[in-house]
This record gives sequence, structure tokens and C-alpha cells, in this order.
Amino acid sequence: MVETDLALAPVYLPLVGAALAFVAKAFPRKGSAAAKALEYSGAFVGLALPWLALAYLAPLAASGGAVEGVIGGWAPQLAISYRFDGLAWMVDLLGFSVAGAAWLYALGAGPKGPAFTSIFLIQASALAATAATTDLFNLFVCLEVLGMASYVLVTSSEKPGAFLASFSYLMVSAAAMVFFLLGVYGLYRLTGALEYGALSRGLSALPKAGGAVAAASVASVAAAVALRTAVMPLYGWLPDAHALAPHAVSAVLSGVLIKTPLFALSRVLIALPGGDEVGMLLGYAGGFTALAAVLIALSQKDVKRLLAYHSISQIGYVVAAWGAGTALLARGEPAGTAFLAAAFMHAFFHALFKGLLFLTVGTISDAAGERDVYLLRGAGKALKAAGERLPITGLAFAVGALSISAIPPFNGYASKAMLSYVLKGRWEYLFLFAAGIGTLASFIKLSTIFWPAAGTAAAGAKALGREPSPCPVPDPSLAVPDPSLAAPEGAKAAPYRMSASVGLAQALLALACVGTGLAAPAFYAAAVRYIGPPGAYASVPALYGPAELGKTLIVIVGGGLLYLATRTKSGKAVAKAIRERPRGFHGLFAAFCLGLAGLYFWMTYIA
Amino acid sequence: MTARLIIGALFMVGLWALVAKRNLVKKVFGLTILNSAAVLLFIAEAGASGGGAPIMGGGQRIVDPIPQALMLTAIVIGVCVTALALGMAYRLYKATGSMDIEEIRKRLGNG
Amino acid sequence: MSARAPSAQVLTAALCIAAASFALWPLANFDGPWPEGIRDYLEARGQDESGARNLVSAIYLGYRGYDTLGETIVLLVAVSGAIGMIGAAGSKLTPGYADAAQGQSPVAGTARRAHRRTELIDVVTGKLGPVVLVFGLYVMLFGHVSPGGGFQGGVVVASGIVFLGMGSKGAGLSPLVGAVTLARIEAAGFLALLLAAGLGIVSGAGFFAPPLRGASPVGYIVALNAVIGLKVGAGIGFLCIAMLGEAER
Repeated sequence: MVETDLALAPVYLPLVGAALAFVAKAFPRKGSAAAKALEYSGAFVGLALPWLALAYLAPLAASGGAVEGVIGGWAPQLAISYRFDGLAWMVDLLGFSVAGAAWLYALGAGPKGPAFTSIFLIQASALAATAATTDLFNLFVCLEVLGMASYVLVTSSEKPGAFLASFSYLMVSAAAMVFFLLGVYGLYRLTGALEYGALSRGLSALPKAGGAVAAASVASVAAAVALRTAVMPLYGWLPDAHALAPHAVSAVLSGVLIKTPLFALSRVLIALPGGDEVGMLLGYAGGFTALAAVLIALSQKDVKRLLAYHSISQIGYVVAAWGAGTALLARGEPAGTAFLAAAFMHAFFHALFKGLLFLTVGTISDAAGERDVYLLRGAGKALKAAGERLPITGLAFAVGALSISAIPPFNGYASKAMLSYVLKGRWEYLFLFAAGIGTLASFIKLSTIFWPAAGTAAAGAKALGREPSPCPVPDPSLAVPDPSLAAPEGAKAAPYRMSASVGLAQALLALACVGTGLAAPAFYAAAVRYIGPPGAYASVPALYGPAELGKTLIVIVGGGLLYLATRTKSGKAVAKAIRERPRGFHGLFAAFCLGLAGLYFWMTYIA
Repeated sequence: MTARLIIGALFMVGLWALVAKRNLVKKVFGLTILNSAAVLLFIAEAGASGGGAPIMGGGQRIVDPIPQALMLTAIVIGVCVTALALGMAYRLYKATGSMDIEEIRKRLGNG
Repeated sequence: MSARAPSAQVLTAALCIAAASFALWPLANFDGPWPEGIRDYLEARGQDESGARNLVSAIYLGYRGYDTLGETIVLLVAVSGAIGMIGAAGSKLTPGYADAAQGQSPVAGTARRAHRRTELIDVVTGKLGPVVLVFGLYVMLFGHVSPGGGFQGGVVVASGIVFLGMGSKGAGLSPLVGAVTLARIEAAGFLALLLAAGLGIVSGAGFFAPPLRGASPVGYIVALNAVIGLKVGAGIGFLCIAMLGEAER
């Protein structure tokens, strides 16, 4: 097997799987055994076979080597180049593990069917393609494919709020990609090339490395990709989209889709002049995001929206380290590898525990029929009533909550310890530490869903599987009667039943959280070897030293105090004010344009 | 320069429609205009590099074919995004009875 | 309109325009020469290496075919998603399309617009449909020598399919525009495109390389054009016919 072909297998195999799923949709009778067989074989080809390719390529990636080439073997100055190196390998690992678990979950909890599977596989293929590309226009196409798949997947929950969320996400994302296209125009006009290496050489040959035109172009490209990553101030689309999507889709969105563009962007920024300045500013934004998003998360009522704001906060952690690392690597300093490895480690561990949290919280809210964190109670009883024999969901939720709150020995503790180690001495570290206190407080609040339900038969009946509705039913006199919305009069929605694949998916992710937590130092060392140049090495700090454990104790105490503070009257008033701050569609664009202008201003005048 | 300024004005008109207009369909118009402005910029500026269409066998030096190939892809992607956006606008109309984004947000209860 | 304070949206839009103009001004101001390296290379070597006289086709089906694959996938997702969304809303799609779309049949009782058709439309579009189809096939298959290609031809084929769908007089839609046929053509087209991309692996040339390079690279380009054209035509035709609604009997 030629290694070049295997390097593209993570892109090609999911596409073949998607094609099989499309054939399953079009040819056999719907629901027939043939359709199911085609769909499942498509999912197998697309989500299981790429692991074989990754296993075969692991030694090459681990040694810091890379499979580089031009797709199709055409002339390199205008064809599409790709680079499958350790970074691409690790991003594929992240993507396929979460996607596989999420698809298993969707098999049990819905959405089901060849239509969902085909788009899901296309999304997985686009993730692998984005991670390995080194051509600017190919990055544009890959991001558009990724976006299209996610817009459709968000709407597959069929909730009206999901359509509005997806519409807003689509509009702001598509507009940002037009700015990306303008950036491609500027860079191509200056250098006549689209591949990162050729762009870098072309720009260095110009006076002032391209000057204001290059700065504006790089800023446009970076801002468009940063929107996908949802750092502040570009986060506005994320809470609605992630909260209203189906649970499996939320897991993949929060786990993978906000991180893959980030690592693709690091390739661009390391190559182009001005990339270090962009990395610096994005790193500062990340530090700020971590704290600000956690404060907003503390005010949220809807369980999935709370998790979505925590995703924003955690991506702030990742971007803070990533920005510093990219800036160092862009200037040619190898110390950046340690930062990037720590950022990736937190990105991967977050994907595992956030995916786990979305899946478990989704199961619980489906079983109990309630999504308000102040009203949802008695989760254990509701799960038992839904047919769960072993308390897998409860245990998995506990693993996820302890991981995100950075309690040893789970993986969140290890990755946050690594982040604090690399960011020591910077102001971002203080923000991240404060954000950790907020995270713990918020998850204490979320864990109250397991307290026994207050009240009697009414609460019991409510806990037995009504259709969960995050939004109040709209005024019937205003709306055109839409059958998809009308509550069935008299007929009860089918009660939620647990299925085996739901439990399996949650158990797999929980085991992964525990396993990666215990093996964290080895994982970090491996990440440095994969991501860095050949021979890279970074020292692995002691994770369980007295300083780290002491900090954890401070976080626990601080988190408990903060939680009690939010239960007071003034705490509730502040939370209400944050929760009901004015937000709108136009705000998304103001944030994007101001972010772009700020980035350009930073590159030209400040840095 | 004039061509670029006019295309820039087109771009800003698209951005205005996208943000200021409240009707969903007008927002989609704005996005389409935005896409068209970017495509026009590429093609108009590339036209300076030669005289003839990029088909061999003509007399003059051809223009740079790369922008045309890239913009083919960009146009198709723009059309697909528009189709999806209009589908969503249709579902929102069926769900709430309005095409005004603020009305829709209100009627959905901002859940 | 009465004079009111500008709304939040208008102010935000003005802010966006100001910020975007500030950031993009250098691009508008830049008067440097257009880089000619790629143009020179393609003028000299493009036709020999790819076999196509139309250099734009040479690029998007040869040198940068991978981008075209991505573009095709975007179209596939858009059509699938749009049909799924509209079909599940309870609208009365053309009979047979609802099942093929998403497996969710339209809920009874939804009001639908009756499709008003006159004799004029029936005759003109019915007769013109096949002509447009032929023209679309021409544009599709001759994309390597004249402006055209898979996408352009595919869209013309789609409009031909719409004509056929609109023009049938009373007796129902012609078999070509049935939901099942179009969905199958689209799925088969996508599979064929992936197989064409994968052929290179089998023949040892690499992913997405023309399998018989040196022998007749133009054949690869024509084949790709045909496959893409069929896929695009079937997909967009499917979308349009489904949204036409119930045919008036």
C-alpha cells in the first residue's frame, strides 16, 4: 500500500461510506434490510476503517515525519498540496473517536437513517481533509464542506429554534467565508501561489513582506477561521446551535468542529509573515474567553446551553495556549511545540469529556422530559424508568463532570495542569485559574439534577418521558398552523427508552476519559513527538505534585463558595441580567467585523 | 481602481442588506450580493493579465485561468448555501408565520 | 417613513460597514501587477498535460480536481438538506418525492397552492424540454474544448428536467422526472465520481490522478465532466421538481 494513498484514506473512506449511505437512501425500499445493511456498511467503512489507516501511519507520524505531496501528481505550482504529519494524525484521532461514539449514540437515540448517516460521514471526511491541507483555496473548500454538513446536521433535530440557530450560524459563517475569499485574492495577487510554502516564500521576497495588503489578507483569513472556533467576541452563534442540535451532533460540534479549523489555521499562521502577531492576539482573546464564557455559563438555565457556554470557555483555554504556541513557532522558536502540544492535549481531552457530557445530559433530559437545570431533578429515577439497568449514564456523567472540573485522576485535571505549566507567568494563567473555579461551581449546579425530585406524582409523571421542549410553544393565533409544532392533542409522546448503543457510546467515552487521564504524561510526550519537528522533546512536569494538588484544593473550595453565591438573591439577579442581555442576529456581524478590524489594527499598528 | 471601488460599494450594499434588513429573504439577497462582489473582484482584476479567453487556439495571450476555476467553485458553493438558507427561511415561516427575524425570535420565545 | 431614531440593526450595519472598509481598504487600493507565472506555465504546458483545450477545465478537473470533489459534495449536502427540510414541513411535495426525500410523508390537511398552468406553458415547455436537455448534454460533454463543463451543463440539464416536469399535459410526469429515477441518478453519480477518483489508486498513479496518464488524459476529463453533469443535473432537478408541488390534473 503506498503511503501517500493511505494518508488520504481518512478523507476518502468516509466519502465512500457516505456514497453507500446515499445509495441506501435512493435504491432499496426505505427501512428494508438492504437499506440498513448498506447504511451500516457505509458507517463501518467511513468510521471504522480509517482507524486501520491511522494505525499503519502511526510510526511515521510519531517520528515527526510527514507524507507530503500534490494530489493527483500534477505540477506543484498550481495543484493542491497536502501534508499528513503528526498534527494531522492527532486531529484525525480526535475527530474519528468522537464521531464514532456520537454515531453509535445516534443509532440508539436518533436522528437515525441513511440521510443522517451520509451527512455525518461527509462531515467526518471534511474534518480529516481540513487537518491535512496546505493549500489556501482547498482550505476554503474544506471549511465550506464542514460548514454545510454542520448546518444540515443542526437542523436535523427538527426543532423550530434549531432552524433559527442554524440560519444564524449559516449566514455569519458564509459571510465570513466571503471575507476569506477576499484574503485569498489579496495573497494570490501578491504572490501568484496558493500553497502555504510558496506563499511564504513569495511574501518574504516582497518589500515589507507584502505590507498592508498582506496584513489585511491574513487578517481576513484568520478572522474567518476564528469565527468557526468561537473565541470571543465571535462566539454568538455557538450557544444556540449547540444547544438545539440533536445530542450526538452537539457532541461532535463541541468536540471536533470548533477545534479542527484552529489547527488548520496554525499551519497557515506558522507559514505566513504576520502569523505570529495573529497568534498573539488570538491567544489573548482565548484567555479572556475562558473567564468570560464561564461567567455567562453560570447564569444559564437550559442544560445544553450551559454546556455550550462551557465549550466556549474551554476552547478559550485551548486558544490561549495555541495562540502563544503558534506565535512562537511562527517566529521559528521551537519552544512553541510544547504550547501547541498542551493545547492539543486539552482539545482532545475536552472533546472526550464534553462529548460525554452532551450525550449523558442529553439522555437524562430526554428521559426526564425537562431541560431546565433548576427544574430537572431525580435524574437517576428517570433513567431507571426509561429502562436502564446499570447506572451507566449516571456514572458517565460523573466522569464527565469531574473531568471538566479538573479533579484528579481524570483527564481534565491532567490537561489543565499541562496548560498551567506551559502558561506559567503569563496573565492568561490567572484567567484560566479563575475560570477553573467558575467551571467547578457550574458543574456543582449541574449535578443537582441527580437530587431527588421535590414533589409527588406530578413530578413523577413529568419524569416519565414527555417530549422535551426548550422553548415555550408559540402563540397559536400568530403562527400559520404547522403540524411539526402542534402538540398532539390527547396523544402522549412516546416515552423515552434507553437503548444499548446509547449506553455503549457513553461507556466508551467514559473509559476514554479515565484512560487518557491515567496515561496523561505519556500522552503529552507523544503529542510533542507527533506535533513537533523530528527529534522534538519537552519535559513533562510532575502532575501530582503538592503545588498542583494544592491548587486543586483552592479551586474546589472556591468553586463551592461561588456556587453558594449564585444561590443568593443578588446572585440570581446578576445571573438573570446576564442571561437576558440583548442578543440578536445583527450582533453576530458586528462582532465579526469589529474582530476583523481589531485584528488588522493590531497587525498593522500595534504588533 | 474605479472598478475595485465600485465592487467595494457592491460588497458594502450586500453587507448592509445582510445586517440591516429584517426580512429573511432580503438577508439571503445580501449574502448573494456579497458572494457576487467577491467573484467579480477576482475576475475583473485577473482580466488585466491578458486579452483572450483561457482556451488554447485563440490568437492573443490568455488571461490567468486560475481565478476563473476558483470562482467556479465559489459560485457553486454560494448557490448551495443560498439554497439551504432559503430552505431554513421557509421552515421558519411555516413555524412562526413571519419572515421578520425579530418577530421570529420573539415568537419562538428565545428558547 | 416617519423620522425615527435608527434601529439597532441599522446602527450595527453602519458599524459593520465602517469596520469592514477599514480592514479591507488595502485590498481596494492595491495596484500591483497580476502575477503571470501560472498563466505562462499553463499556456505552455496546460494542453499537453491535461489534454483539454479549455484551460479552466484543465484546472478544475485536472490540476485542482480535489476542490471540484469538495464542490460536488457541497451540492450533494445542500440538495439533500434542503429537500429534507422542506419535505418534513408538511408541505405537499410532488407525489412520490416526500418518501424519497426523507421518508416522512406530508401531514394531511396542509394548504397548498394549486399550480396554475395554461396550455401555452404545457405545450412550450413540454416541447422545449428535450431540446434544452440536448443542449445541456452538449455543454456538459464539450466542456474541454469550449466554455462549459460538468457544472454548467448539469444546471442546464436541470432546467431541461424542470421543463419536462412542468410541461406534461395532465397525464403525469414523464418517467425521467420521477423522484426515484432522479435520486438514483444522483446517488449513482456520486459513487461514480468517487470511483473515478479512486481509479488512480488502483492504477498506481495516485489519488485523483488520471489513470491512463500519457495515453489519453482528455478521456478522464470528459468522463469526469459527464459524471459531474449527471449528478448536478439530477440533484438540482430533483430539488426543483419536488418544490413544484402537486401537479394540477
